[in-house]
Amino acid sequence: MTVDFLIDWFSTIGNFPILAFILAVVISGIPLFLFMALNAMVAVYAERKVSAFMMDRIGPMGQGPGLHAGKWGLLQTVADAIKLLVKEDTIPQTSDKLLFKMAPFIIFIGAFLGLAAVPFNSSLQVVDFNVGVFYIIAVGSIGVIGIVMAGWSSNNKWSLYGAMRSAAQIISYEIPAGLSIIIPIMMAGTMNLQTMIQFQSGSIWGILPNWIIFNNPFTFLAFFIFFISAVAETNRTPFDIPEAESELVAGWMTEYSGFRWAVFFLSEYANMFVVSGLAVAGFLGGWQSPIPGMFDSAGWGLFWFMVKVIFLIFLMMWFRWTFPRLRVDQLMHVCWKVFIPIAMFNIFGVGIWKLIIG
Amino acid sequence: MYKYFTNIYETVNTLWTGMRITFRHMIHIKRDNVTLQYPEERWPRPERNIGFDHKDYNVIRSRLHVDIDDCIGCLKCERVCPVDCITINTIKTPTRGEDISEVNHTGETSNGTKKAMVVSRFTIDMSECCYCNLCVYPCPEECIFMVGGPNSSKHPIDYEFSQFDRKDLIYQFAKKLTPDQKKKLESPKPEVEA
Repeated sequence: MTVDFLIDWFSTIGNFPILAFILAVVISGIPLFLFMALNAMVAVYAERKVSAFMMDRIGPMGQGPGLHAGKWGLLQTVADAIKLLVKEDTIPQTSDKLLFKMAPFIIFIGAFLGLAAVPFNSSLQVVDFNVGVFYIIAVGSIGVIGIVMAGWSSNNKWSLYGAMRSAAQIISYEIPAGLSIIIPIMMAGTMNLQTMIQFQSGSIWGILPNWIIFNNPFTFLAFFIFFISAVAETNRTPFDIPEAESELVAGWMTEYSGFRWAVFFLSEYANMFVVSGLAVAGFLGGWQSPIPGMFDSAGWGLFWFMVKVIFLIFLMMWFRWTFPRLRVDQLMHVCWKVFIPIAMFNIFGVGIWKLIIG
Repeated sequence: MYKYFTNIYETVNTLWTGMRITFRHMIHIKRDNVTLQYPEERWPRPERNIGFDHKDYNVIRSRLHVDIDDCIGCLKCERVCPVDCITINTIKTPTRGEDISEVNHTGETSNGTKKAMVVSRFTIDMSECCYCNLCVYPCPEECIFMVGGPNSSKHPIDYEFSQFDRKDLIYQFAKKLTPDQKKKLESPKPEVEA
């Protein structure tokens, strides 16, 4: 919406369509990039704190500037980012140098493009596609190409193993994720994220908000399948066999250092945000208030959306610091023998539900 | 087929149990925290018990300290030290029991003993010290003692006296004397000799 708005606004000034398009994309892209960097910084800090608290530690705890990193370690991620930027960026001699340099940016593009369709509130959305759900799912798969490129070009057994596992895992888990995100599409009858969120306004029996997750038991189940598949797609523990520190060093990221590695990190946290945003828009009512009919203005919409997304990201961290890693065969078992049958059953159930109840 | 569903149920149930445990730890971090913010917080000093009740032995020995104004330079502690970590040099004063203000020397100890020596060097190498406490007993003026223990009210206990350089562990207790002052003290005064 922001891009459309800017293009419309530029057309009132003068007739320069190509320049207007480029300007609009750049103007809405830069805040998005800054948001991505901020998101990664806050999320890394939160992750370190959450992990520490769950292990009875206290995490980064600087006591002031200078030798330490801010009060309660608040500047820890800033220090980490500076360290990553000034670090030497090594490229292995035997690597495929072109692919090696390209891979981080392809992964970055996948995450960045996904962020473009996230509906922050009723008007704050970079582009409002009429196939928004499909777009996010499709763009999210671009990252796999980057991962395979990174693994292959590193010319390293761990990188290659990690990349292959990642490709297998992401391709497998796209299926239950896709089958589950069909359910909000069936309920709302649209792929447009804004229309889908508007469908979820109002309340059920005056108590529960009319979110798709609360609509019927099948949608309730579908949310969890989608969310767990999304965790698997972002390569996070317990589905982190592509990185698997204890067996593969760092998986496909083994040979990367400095800025390129920072780009991987940025993309990982942006991906988390995108899949959480999709889950929130599809199942948890997007920017709709949890108390029907209250706090419904656009500012509150942004607030509710961020609260829901942050809760889902916290849930991912909670998973990460609770569950042990799955074995490769267990991973495939969960995907193909559990999630896909249940997801198909859900589609069937929702179809019947819509037919009978409406 | 039945096993398939019980399996799923069991998985969800056990995962939820694990998540409850980690969440409980997270919200009780204030109570369960095991990290000590070391320079700001310290573990409490443990009680010492060597197996029998004795007020002089059941104390923490931290490190040696010398009240140099009370030292008469008798070298008893140097001789008794089993590891020879104490080194004392003395210069005989011409006037016994009188203050020599230019080297900051006091003539009398706090016990009233008149000093015949200026202690020009009193070093204890704490990297060699074995904390046996043997140097404390022979001292006639009770000027060398272990910090902490019975003296802990006077000198706070410090059990973490680390240094960046090993040389810094050689503690200098004597007052600094410049070479000139040393020479002046060592050279016999003309009128005394005459």
